[in-house]
Amino acid sequence: MAVKFSNTFLLRKLHQLTGIIPLGMFYFVHLWTNSAALNGAKVFDDHVQDIHNFPYLLLIEIFGIFVPLVFHSVYGILISAEAKPNVLNYGYVRNWFYLFQRATGIFLFFFLLFHILNFRFGLIPGLNLIPVAGNADKAYSIVSGEFQITWVMVIYIIGILATAWHLAYGFFLFAVDWGIVIGEKAQKVVLYGCLSLAVMLGVAGINAAFAFVRPCGLLPTALCEEPHKAETNAPKKF
Amino acid sequence: MTTNAHIEKKRLDNPPASIKFKIQRREKEGAASHWETFEIPYRRNLNVISALMDIRKNPVTIEGKQTTPPVWDMSCLEQVCGICTMVIDGKVRQSCSALIDDLLLASGGDTVTLAPMSKFPNVRDLKVDRSKMFDHLKQVEAWIELDGTYDLGPGPHVTNELAQERYSYSRCMTCGCCLEACPQYGDDNYIGPQAIAQAHLFNMHPTGKANIDDRLNGLMGDDGITNCGNAQNCIKVCPMGIPLTKAIYETNRDITVNALFGWLKK
Repeated sequence: MAVKFSNTFLLRKLHQLTGIIPLGMFYFVHLWTNSAALNGAKVFDDHVQDIHNFPYLLLIEIFGIFVPLVFHSVYGILISAEAKPNVLNYGYVRNWFYLFQRATGIFLFFFLLFHILNFRFGLIPGLNLIPVAGNADKAYSIVSGEFQITWVMVIYIIGILATAWHLAYGFFLFAVDWGIVIGEKAQKVVLYGCLSLAVMLGVAGINAAFAFVRPCGLLPTALCEEPHKAETNAPKKF
Repeated sequence: MTTNAHIEKKRLDNPPASIKFKIQRREKEGAASHWETFEIPYRRNLNVISALMDIRKNPVTIEGKQTTPPVWDMSCLEQVCGICTMVIDGKVRQSCSALIDDLLLASGGDTVTLAPMSKFPNVRDLKVDRSKMFDHLKQVEAWIELDGTYDLGPGPHVTNELAQERYSYSRCMTCGCCLEACPQYGDDNYIGPQAIAQAHLFNMHPTGKANIDDRLNGLMGDDGITNCGNAQNCIKVCPMGIPLTKAIYETNRDITVNALFGWLKK
């Protein structure tokens, strides 16, 4: 006898999958690009230009990021609406994590709406009005201009921390929901791994954000390549 | 709990002269609920059920109002039937094994709050209708098909490990603690850990394995296993220490292998 899939089952599995494969993968690329700012404006702008040079860029943007993101966030909000949080009576750690996952998800829905309008499209009135897309040469100056405004910087730091948590714990949830990690001991090991990943993603993300207001972010400048030095060391053109 | 735990049990050094019980009352299903507080003299070794029996003898609230005796379910009085489950000081558990000394030591006060489980229809006062859980057992076909028309001979051999593991799932008394504490269960959108664990119990059996697809089908519906939110409260509150989360994740693997990637075998 064949097993029948219900719509809810398929949607949930798709929700778990979109969180990991397109969106999780994209976030690592995104963080990598942001971290390029540690080495100065030119290195960052070059990285952004490299992305602009991707073949099939628009298709990747639409089907690799936009569609999965809309599905994951809208369906995620529907899932969160089913929750009946009870952490006050059952204050177990995993029960708090259950609540965090939903709280960060709902926050990220609004944060990403802001973030995409702010940088990808430059459409938030009173803030940056130049889209980064198509203006790779201005990418660093756009972002660092925004991050001079304290409340914008604070919102981005909260957004980075929420993303770090949501993605890292999401890896754990994927592993248990697909029956990859089953036993109590194994879950503990994987959970600690995912929590360390959350810390690493959070620290790297915040450091990259500070790279737009201070050379080399929060690290001592000696640890970063100085931009002009990098240029002089570049091979001469013939 | 070790077998000697009852000897090491903590007791109140200076027990109060009397203790209060704040009880959620409801006259009948669908009626509005309200709270009533009763006061009874403290005595040693009281548990919630013996306290309720004291209240029943003289159902007068602390305001001096004569009222109906509170209604609750009870049967075995040794935490193996599960019927006396209720929400005690905010946490779901069996009232027969809820000792007053422990409750007062935990809360630091002299009041115990009693409410019926919120995820089941409230019949009256502390009594709920748990028949939903038995419907769930039917939904996942938590049994082994044997028509009994001919002698099957001795049953299949199982390893000691498998027998031990199945035994732990077989201890479920359908009390409802896991469903009450689950932040995802309610409004009929999730079948809950109880039925998943019972489906797994029979999926693990060498004869029961033959019908694994039928049981998985019962778990793949719109209210199925996929709605689990991994808060893992179930395993924390289960009075029988059943590895409920392991049942959920083992079944997740069965579904991934047999259903999700089943087409790769065809």
